[in-house]
Amino acid sequence: MTRAHPFTGGAVSLAAIALALILPAPRGTIALYLAICLGAWALGAGRAVRLGLLAVAPIWLLLFIMHAVLGEAPRLVLPWGGTLSQPGVDWAVAQGSRLAAIVTASLAFAVRFDPHRFLQAAVARRWPWSAAFLLVATLDAAERFGDQARRLREAQRTRGLRVRGSLRVRARAVPALVFPLLLTSLTEADDRALALESRGLTHHGPRTAVDPPEDSRSDRIIRWGSLTVVVAVAWWRWIAA
Amino acid sequence: MSPRLFALVPAAVAINLVVGRIAAELSLPVYLDTLGTMLVAVLTGLPGGVLVGTVSQLLAGMLSGYQWLPFVVIQWLIALLAALAASRGGFATPFRSAIWGAGCGVLCGLVSAVISFVLFRGVTAGGVSAIGALLRGLGLPLSTAVTSASLLTDILDKTVAFLVVGALLRALPRRILGRFPVAARAVGR
Repeated sequence: MTRAHPFTGGAVSLAAIALALILPAPRGTIALYLAICLGAWALGAGRAVRLGLLAVAPIWLLLFIMHAVLGEAPRLVLPWGGTLSQPGVDWAVAQGSRLAAIVTASLAFAVRFDPHRFLQAAVARRWPWSAAFLLVATLDAAERFGDQARRLREAQRTRGLRVRGSLRVRARAVPALVFPLLLTSLTEADDRALALESRGLTHHGPRTAVDPPEDSRSDRIIRWGSLTVVVAVAWWRWIAA
Repeated sequence: MSPRLFALVPAAVAINLVVGRIAAELSLPVYLDTLGTMLVAVLTGLPGGVLVGTVSQLLAGMLSGYQWLPFVVIQWLIALLAALAASRGGFATPFRSAIWGAGCGVLCGLVSAVISFVLFRGVTAGGVSAIGALLRGLGLPLSTAVTSASLLTDILDKTVAFLVVGALLRALPRRILGRFPVAARAVGR
Protein backbone atom coordinates (compact mmCIF):
# COMPACT_ATOMS: atom_id res chain seq x y z
CA MET A 1 0.00 0.00 0.00
CA THR A 2 2.99 2.29 0.53
CA ARG A 3 3.50 2.23 -3.24
CA ALA A 4 -0.16 2.86 -4.07
CA HIS A 5 -0.96 6.08 -5.89
CA PRO A 6 -1.99 8.82 -3.39
CA PHE A 7 -5.45 9.13 -5.00
CA THR A 8 -6.19 5.40 -4.60
CA GLY A 9 -6.37 5.50 -0.79
CA GLY A 10 -8.60 8.58 -0.96
CA ALA A 11 -10.92 6.95 -3.50
CA VAL A 12 -11.28 3.76 -1.42
CA SER A 13 -11.85 5.80 1.75
CA LEU A 14 -14.52 7.95 0.05
CA ALA A 15 -16.19 4.82 -1.36
CA ALA A 16 -16.31 3.29 2.14
CA ILE A 17 -17.86 6.50 3.53
CA ALA A 18 -20.46 6.52 0.73
CA LEU A 19 -21.27 2.85 1.41
CA ALA A 20 -21.69 3.60 5.13
CA LEU A 21 -24.41 6.09 4.16
CA ILE A 22 -26.06 3.87 1.52
CA LEU A 23 -25.97 0.36 3.02
CA PRO A 24 -28.93 -0.78 5.13
CA ALA A 25 -28.30 -0.49 8.86
CA PRO A 26 -27.48 -2.20 11.11
CA ARG A 27 -26.45 -5.39 9.26
CA GLY A 28 -24.89 -3.70 6.27
CA THR A 29 -23.10 -1.03 8.30
CA ILE A 30 -21.78 -3.50 10.91
CA ALA A 31 -20.44 -5.75 8.11
CA LEU A 32 -18.88 -2.71 6.44
CA TYR A 33 -17.25 -1.58 9.71
CA LEU A 34 -15.73 -5.03 10.23
CA ALA A 35 -14.52 -5.09 6.62
CA ILE A 36 -12.91 -1.64 7.01
CA CYS A 37 -11.18 -2.76 10.25
CA LEU A 38 -9.86 -5.92 8.59
CA GLY A 39 -8.74 -3.97 5.52
CA ALA A 40 -6.99 -1.35 7.65
CA TRP A 41 -5.15 -4.03 9.66
CA ALA A 42 -4.14 -5.89 6.50
CA LEU A 43 -2.80 -2.72 4.84
CA GLY A 44 -0.77 -1.62 7.85
CA ALA A 45 -3.19 1.06 9.07
CA GLY A 46 -4.13 -0.77 12.26
CA ARG A 47 -3.52 2.44 14.23
CA ALA A 48 -6.61 3.87 12.50
CA VAL A 49 -8.77 1.11 14.03
CA ARG A 50 -7.48 1.89 17.55
CA LEU A 51 -7.83 5.66 17.06
CA GLY A 52 -11.29 5.11 15.57
CA LEU A 53 -12.39 3.11 18.59
CA LEU A 54 -11.15 5.87 20.91
CA ALA A 55 -13.05 8.46 18.85
CA VAL A 56 -16.36 6.59 18.62
CA ALA A 57 -16.48 5.04 22.11
CA PRO A 58 -17.89 8.24 23.73
CA ILE A 59 -20.39 8.57 20.87
CA TRP A 60 -21.53 4.96 21.36
CA LEU A 61 -22.00 5.66 25.09
CA LEU A 62 -24.01 8.84 24.41
CA LEU A 63 -26.11 7.09 21.73
CA PHE A 64 -26.90 4.32 24.23
CA ILE A 65 -27.85 6.77 27.00
CA MET A 66 -29.75 9.26 24.84
CA HIS A 67 -31.71 6.78 22.70
CA ALA A 68 -31.62 3.28 24.24
CA VAL A 69 -31.99 4.30 27.91
CA LEU A 70 -33.94 7.56 27.56
CA GLY A 71 -35.76 6.71 24.29
CA GLU A 72 -39.44 6.36 23.49
CA ALA A 73 -41.78 3.37 23.92
CA PRO A 74 -42.16 0.47 23.13
CA ARG A 75 -39.70 -0.75 25.78
CA LEU A 76 -37.75 -4.00 25.88
CA VAL A 77 -37.72 -5.76 29.24
CA LEU A 78 -34.20 -6.94 30.08
CA PRO A 79 -33.74 -10.39 31.72
CA TRP A 80 -31.71 -8.87 34.58
CA GLY A 81 -34.24 -6.07 35.21
CA GLY A 82 -34.87 -2.66 33.76
CA THR A 83 -36.02 -1.67 30.28
CA LEU A 84 -34.58 -0.19 27.09
CA SER A 85 -36.33 1.61 24.24
CA GLN A 86 -36.74 -0.73 21.24
CA PRO A 87 -36.54 2.01 18.54
CA GLY A 88 -33.77 3.68 20.58
CA VAL A 89 -31.65 0.50 20.59
CA ASP A 90 -32.22 0.07 16.82
CA TRP A 91 -31.14 3.67 16.12
CA ALA A 92 -28.15 3.48 18.50
CA VAL A 93 -26.81 0.32 16.82
CA ALA A 94 -27.49 1.61 13.30
CA GLN A 95 -26.00 5.06 13.88
CA GLY A 96 -23.14 3.72 16.04
CA SER A 97 -21.97 1.27 13.37
CA ARG A 98 -22.40 3.86 10.59
CA LEU A 99 -20.33 6.47 12.44
CA ALA A 100 -17.68 3.89 13.37
CA ALA A 101 -17.33 2.89 9.69
CA ILE A 102 -17.00 6.54 8.58
CA VAL A 103 -14.52 7.46 11.34
CA THR A 104 -12.32 4.40 10.73
CA ALA A 105 -12.32 4.87 6.93
CA SER A 106 -11.37 8.56 7.36
CA LEU A 107 -8.59 7.76 9.83
CA ALA A 108 -7.23 4.90 7.71
CA PHE A 109 -6.77 7.41 4.89
CA ALA A 110 -5.24 9.99 7.27
CA VAL A 111 -2.63 7.66 8.80
CA ARG A 112 -1.44 6.53 5.33
CA PHE A 113 -1.54 10.02 3.82
CA ASP A 114 1.78 11.27 2.44
CA PRO A 115 1.46 15.04 1.76
CA HIS A 116 4.53 15.21 -0.51
CA ARG A 117 3.33 12.40 -2.81
CA PHE A 118 -0.19 13.87 -2.85
CA LEU A 119 1.13 17.27 -3.95
CA GLN A 120 3.27 15.66 -6.66
CA ALA A 121 0.30 13.60 -7.89
CA ALA A 122 -1.94 16.68 -7.95
CA VAL A 123 0.65 18.66 -9.94
CA ALA A 124 1.11 15.77 -12.39
CA ARG A 125 -2.67 15.60 -12.91
CA ARG A 126 -2.89 19.39 -13.43
CA TRP A 127 -5.27 19.73 -10.48
CA PRO A 128 -5.59 23.27 -9.08
CA TRP A 129 -2.17 23.66 -7.51
CA SER A 130 -3.28 26.22 -4.93
CA ALA A 131 -5.89 23.85 -3.43
CA ALA A 132 -3.44 20.94 -3.17
CA PHE A 133 -0.74 23.19 -1.71
CA LEU A 134 -3.20 24.65 0.80
CA LEU A 135 -4.00 21.15 2.14
CA VAL A 136 -0.33 20.21 2.44
CA ALA A 137 0.69 23.57 3.96
CA THR A 138 -2.15 23.28 6.47
CA LEU A 139 -1.05 19.82 7.61
CA ASP A 140 2.48 21.17 7.98
CA ALA A 141 1.25 24.21 9.92
CA ALA A 142 -0.89 22.03 12.23
CA GLU A 143 2.16 19.98 13.18
CA ARG A 144 4.34 23.11 13.63
CA PHE A 145 1.77 24.94 15.77
CA GLY A 146 1.12 21.77 17.79
CA ASP A 147 4.83 21.56 18.67
CA GLN A 148 4.92 25.26 19.43
CA ALA A 149 1.88 24.95 21.72
CA ARG A 150 3.59 22.13 23.66
CA ARG A 151 6.82 24.12 24.07
CA LEU A 152 4.84 27.21 25.09
CA ARG A 153 2.90 25.27 27.68
CA GLU A 154 6.07 23.92 29.27
CA ALA A 155 7.73 27.35 29.20
CA GLN A 156 4.73 29.05 30.81
CA ARG A 157 4.49 26.34 33.47
CA THR A 158 8.10 26.91 34.46
CA ARG A 159 7.13 30.60 34.92
CA GLY A 160 4.41 29.53 37.34
CA LEU A 161 1.36 29.22 35.06
CA ARG A 162 -1.21 26.84 36.56
CA VAL A 163 -3.12 24.61 34.12
CA ARG A 164 -4.91 22.53 36.76
CA GLY A 165 -7.31 23.48 39.50
CA SER A 166 -10.62 25.33 39.53
CA LEU A 167 -12.38 26.47 36.36
CA ARG A 168 -11.24 30.05 37.05
CA VAL A 169 -7.59 28.99 37.34
CA ARG A 170 -7.75 26.98 34.09
CA ALA A 171 -9.59 29.78 32.24
CA ARG A 172 -6.87 32.25 33.29
CA ALA A 173 -4.29 30.05 31.56
CA VAL A 174 -5.95 30.59 28.16
CA PRO A 175 -4.45 34.01 27.24
CA ALA A 176 -0.94 32.90 28.21
CA LEU A 177 -1.22 29.78 26.02
CA VAL A 178 -3.25 31.15 23.11
CA PHE A 179 -2.13 34.75 22.51
CA PRO A 180 1.48 33.91 21.57
CA LEU A 181 0.22 31.40 18.99
CA LEU A 182 -2.17 33.91 17.46
CA LEU A 183 0.51 36.62 17.39
CA THR A 184 3.02 34.26 15.77
CA SER A 185 0.57 33.44 12.99
CA LEU A 186 0.16 37.15 12.20
CA THR A 187 3.81 38.14 12.42
CA GLU A 188 4.87 35.15 10.29
CA ALA A 189 2.29 35.82 7.58
CA ASP A 190 4.24 38.51 5.70
CA ASP A 191 7.54 36.58 5.78
CA ARG A 192 5.81 33.49 4.48
CA ALA A 193 3.91 35.46 1.84
CA LEU A 194 7.21 36.87 0.55
CA ALA A 195 8.78 33.39 0.50
CA LEU A 196 5.79 31.93 -1.37
CA GLU A 197 5.76 34.76 -3.91
CA SER A 198 9.48 34.38 -4.59
CA ARG A 199 8.85 30.66 -5.25
CA GLY A 200 6.27 31.36 -7.94
CA LEU A 201 3.03 31.22 -5.98
CA THR A 202 1.39 33.78 -8.22
CA HIS A 203 2.58 32.05 -11.38
CA HIS A 204 -0.33 30.94 -13.58
CA GLY A 205 0.00 28.07 -15.97
CA PRO A 206 1.11 24.45 -15.84
CA ARG A 207 3.67 23.24 -13.29
CA THR A 208 6.03 20.32 -13.55
CA ALA A 209 5.97 17.55 -10.96
CA VAL A 210 9.55 16.76 -9.91
CA ASP A 211 8.81 13.27 -8.67
CA PRO A 212 5.31 12.17 -9.84
CA PRO A 213 4.12 8.94 -8.19
CA GLU A 214 3.44 6.03 -10.53
CA ASP A 215 -0.22 5.47 -11.36
CA SER A 216 -0.28 1.72 -12.04
CA ARG A 217 -2.98 -0.29 -13.74
CA SER A 218 -3.99 -1.91 -10.43
CA ASP A 219 -4.42 1.59 -8.91
CA ARG A 220 -6.80 2.55 -11.70
CA ILE A 221 -8.69 -0.75 -11.38
CA ILE A 222 -9.12 -0.21 -7.62
CA ARG A 223 -10.36 3.36 -8.08
CA TRP A 224 -12.82 2.49 -10.85
CA GLY A 225 -13.84 -0.67 -8.93
CA SER A 226 -14.61 1.42 -5.82
CA LEU A 227 -16.80 3.78 -7.84
CA THR A 228 -18.56 0.83 -9.52
CA VAL A 229 -19.34 -0.81 -6.16
CA VAL A 230 -20.82 2.43 -4.78
CA VAL A 231 -22.97 2.98 -7.88
CA ALA A 232 -24.11 -0.70 -7.88
CA VAL A 233 -25.08 -0.62 -4.18
CA ALA A 234 -26.88 2.72 -4.61
CA TRP A 235 -28.77 1.30 -7.62
CA TRP A 236 -29.65 -1.88 -5.65
CA ARG A 237 -30.94 0.23 -2.73
CA TRP A 238 -32.96 2.41 -5.11
CA ILE A 239 -34.52 -0.66 -6.78
CA ALA A 240 -35.24 -2.24 -3.38
CA ALA A 241 -36.97 0.95 -2.21
CA MET B 1 -5.86 34.72 -3.74
CA SER B 2 -3.26 37.12 -2.35
CA PRO B 3 0.06 35.69 -1.10
CA ARG B 4 -0.67 37.07 2.38
CA LEU B 5 -4.01 35.24 2.56
CA PHE B 6 -2.27 32.13 1.22
CA ALA B 7 0.18 32.37 4.13
CA LEU B 8 -2.52 33.14 6.70
CA VAL B 9 -5.01 30.38 5.85
CA PRO B 10 -2.86 27.33 6.85
CA ALA B 11 -1.83 29.09 10.09
CA ALA B 12 -5.45 29.96 10.91
CA VAL B 13 -6.65 26.40 10.28
CA ALA B 14 -3.82 25.12 12.49
CA ILE B 15 -4.92 27.59 15.19
CA ASN B 16 -8.47 26.22 15.00
CA LEU B 17 -7.14 22.71 15.58
CA VAL B 18 -4.44 23.50 18.16
CA VAL B 19 -6.42 25.98 20.29
CA GLY B 20 -9.37 23.54 20.27
CA ARG B 21 -6.97 20.93 21.64
CA ILE B 22 -5.66 23.36 24.31
CA ALA B 23 -9.24 24.07 25.46
CA ALA B 24 -9.91 20.32 25.67
CA GLU B 25 -6.67 19.71 27.61
CA LEU B 26 -7.62 22.44 30.09
CA SER B 27 -11.06 20.75 30.43
CA LEU B 28 -12.82 24.04 29.73
CA PRO B 29 -16.56 24.02 28.95
CA VAL B 30 -15.84 25.77 25.62
CA TYR B 31 -14.36 24.56 22.31
CA LEU B 32 -12.50 27.67 21.01
CA ASP B 33 -12.01 25.79 17.73
CA THR B 34 -13.11 28.69 15.53
CA LEU B 35 -10.63 31.37 16.63
CA GLY B 36 -8.66 31.08 13.37
CA THR B 37 -11.83 31.45 11.28
CA MET B 38 -12.87 34.56 13.23
CA LEU B 39 -9.40 36.07 13.12
CA VAL B 40 -9.02 35.74 9.34
CA ALA B 41 -12.59 36.96 8.74
CA VAL B 42 -11.79 40.06 10.81
CA LEU B 43 -8.36 40.62 9.27
CA THR B 44 -9.07 39.97 5.60
CA GLY B 45 -12.86 39.86 5.20
CA LEU B 46 -15.57 37.27 4.64
CA PRO B 47 -14.01 35.20 1.77
CA GLY B 48 -10.87 34.50 3.82
CA GLY B 49 -12.94 33.43 6.83
CA VAL B 50 -15.13 31.16 4.71
CA LEU B 51 -12.03 29.57 3.17
CA VAL B 52 -10.46 28.95 6.60
CA GLY B 53 -13.73 27.50 7.93
CA THR B 54 -14.11 25.16 4.95
CA VAL B 55 -10.51 23.91 5.05
CA SER B 56 -10.75 23.49 8.84
CA GLN B 57 -13.84 21.35 8.58
CA LEU B 58 -12.34 19.26 5.74
CA LEU B 59 -9.17 18.68 7.75
CA ALA B 60 -11.09 17.92 10.95
CA GLY B 61 -13.09 15.41 8.87
CA MET B 62 -9.91 13.74 7.71
CA LEU B 63 -8.64 13.49 11.29
CA SER B 64 -11.86 12.58 13.11
CA GLY B 65 -14.37 11.38 10.51
CA TYR B 66 -16.26 13.11 7.69
CA GLN B 67 -19.65 12.72 9.39
CA TRP B 68 -19.29 16.20 10.92
CA LEU B 69 -18.91 17.85 7.48
CA PRO B 70 -22.47 19.33 7.54
CA PHE B 71 -21.30 21.55 10.42
CA VAL B 72 -19.23 23.52 7.89
CA VAL B 73 -22.31 25.78 7.70
CA ILE B 74 -21.54 26.91 11.27
CA GLN B 75 -18.01 27.89 10.23
CA TRP B 76 -19.43 29.99 7.37
CA LEU B 77 -21.91 31.63 9.73
CA ILE B 78 -19.12 32.48 12.19
CA ALA B 79 -17.02 33.98 9.39
CA LEU B 80 -20.00 36.05 8.25
CA LEU B 81 -20.81 37.36 11.72
CA ALA B 82 -17.16 38.04 12.61
CA ALA B 83 -16.70 40.02 9.38
CA LEU B 84 -19.94 41.89 10.07
CA ALA B 85 -18.86 42.65 13.65
CA ALA B 86 -15.51 43.91 12.36
CA SER B 87 -17.15 46.28 9.88
CA ARG B 88 -19.34 47.70 12.69
CA GLY B 89 -16.55 48.16 15.25
CA GLY B 90 -17.74 45.10 17.16
CA PHE B 91 -14.34 44.44 18.72
CA ALA B 92 -13.70 47.99 19.98
CA THR B 93 -14.48 47.15 23.64
CA PRO B 94 -14.86 43.90 25.63
CA PHE B 95 -18.54 44.69 26.11
CA ARG B 96 -19.19 45.03 22.36
CA SER B 97 -17.21 41.84 21.70
CA ALA B 98 -19.31 39.97 24.28
CA ILE B 99 -22.59 41.23 22.77
CA TRP B 100 -21.58 40.23 19.22
CA GLY B 101 -20.26 36.90 20.56
CA ALA B 102 -23.51 36.13 22.37
CA GLY B 103 -25.50 37.00 19.22
CA CYS B 104 -23.25 34.75 17.15
CA GLY B 105 -23.73 32.01 19.77
CA VAL B 106 -27.52 32.24 19.52
CA LEU B 107 -27.52 31.96 15.71
CA CYS B 108 -24.87 29.23 15.61
CA GLY B 109 -26.61 27.32 18.42
CA LEU B 110 -29.93 27.33 16.56
CA VAL B 111 -28.43 26.22 13.22
CA SER B 112 -26.26 23.65 14.97
CA ALA B 113 -29.29 22.26 16.82
CA VAL B 114 -31.19 21.80 13.54
CA ILE B 115 -28.25 19.91 11.93
CA SER B 116 -27.65 17.87 15.09
CA PHE B 117 -31.32 16.93 15.47
CA VAL B 118 -32.17 16.22 11.84
CA LEU B 119 -29.01 14.33 10.85
CA PHE B 120 -27.79 12.84 14.14
CA ARG B 121 -30.84 12.86 16.44
CA GLY B 122 -28.92 14.93 18.95
CA VAL B 123 -25.79 12.82 19.43
CA THR B 124 -22.73 14.43 17.90
CA ALA B 125 -19.66 14.63 20.09
CA GLY B 126 -18.38 15.68 23.47
CA GLY B 127 -19.89 18.08 25.96
CA VAL B 128 -22.89 19.30 24.00
CA SER B 129 -24.33 15.77 23.67
CA ALA B 130 -23.63 15.07 27.34
CA ILE B 131 -25.62 18.21 28.30
CA GLY B 132 -28.34 17.12 25.87
CA ALA B 133 -28.48 13.69 27.54
CA LEU B 134 -28.65 15.35 30.96
CA LEU B 135 -31.57 17.57 29.89
CA ARG B 136 -33.26 14.56 28.27
CA GLY B 137 -32.85 12.69 31.56
CA LEU B 138 -34.62 15.56 33.30
CA GLY B 139 -37.64 14.82 31.12
CA LEU B 140 -37.32 17.35 28.27
CA PRO B 141 -38.37 16.23 24.77
CA LEU B 142 -35.42 15.34 22.49
CA SER B 143 -35.79 18.42 20.26
CA THR B 144 -35.92 20.80 23.26
CA ALA B 145 -32.97 19.09 24.96
CA VAL B 146 -30.82 19.27 21.80
CA THR B 147 -31.71 22.93 21.13
CA SER B 148 -31.11 23.98 24.76
CA ALA B 149 -27.76 22.16 24.92
CA SER B 150 -26.62 23.71 21.60
CA LEU B 151 -27.67 27.21 22.67
CA LEU B 152 -26.02 26.94 26.10
CA THR B 153 -22.67 25.71 24.79
CA ASP B 154 -22.59 27.94 21.70
CA ILE B 155 -23.45 31.17 23.52
CA LEU B 156 -20.68 30.54 26.06
CA ASP B 157 -18.17 29.36 23.42
CA LYS B 158 -18.73 32.16 20.93
CA THR B 159 -18.81 34.87 23.61
CA VAL B 160 -15.44 33.72 24.97
CA ALA B 161 -14.05 33.38 21.42
CA PHE B 162 -15.13 36.92 20.44
CA LEU B 163 -13.63 38.25 23.71
CA VAL B 164 -10.31 36.49 22.99
CA VAL B 165 -10.15 37.77 19.38
CA GLY B 166 -11.14 41.28 20.51
CA ALA B 167 -8.48 41.31 23.23
CA LEU B 168 -5.86 40.16 20.71
CA LEU B 169 -6.83 42.80 18.13
CA ARG B 170 -6.73 45.59 20.71
CA ALA B 171 -3.32 44.40 21.93
CA LEU B 172 -1.82 44.28 18.42
CA PRO B 173 0.92 46.83 17.71
CA ARG B 174 -0.06 49.51 15.18
CA ARG B 175 2.68 48.20 12.86
CA ILE B 176 0.86 44.88 12.43
CA LEU B 177 -2.67 46.27 12.64
CA GLY B 178 -1.82 48.78 9.91
CA ARG B 179 -1.48 45.92 7.43
CA PHE B 180 -5.14 44.97 7.96
CA PRO B 181 -7.42 48.01 7.53
CA VAL B 182 -10.61 46.01 8.28
CA ALA B 183 -9.16 44.89 11.61
CA ALA B 184 -8.14 48.45 12.48
CA ARG B 185 -11.74 49.53 11.91
CA ALA B 186 -12.95 46.59 14.02
CA VAL B 187 -11.17 47.96 17.09
CA GLY B 188 -12.02 51.57 16.29
CA ARG B 189 -8.53 52.78 15.30
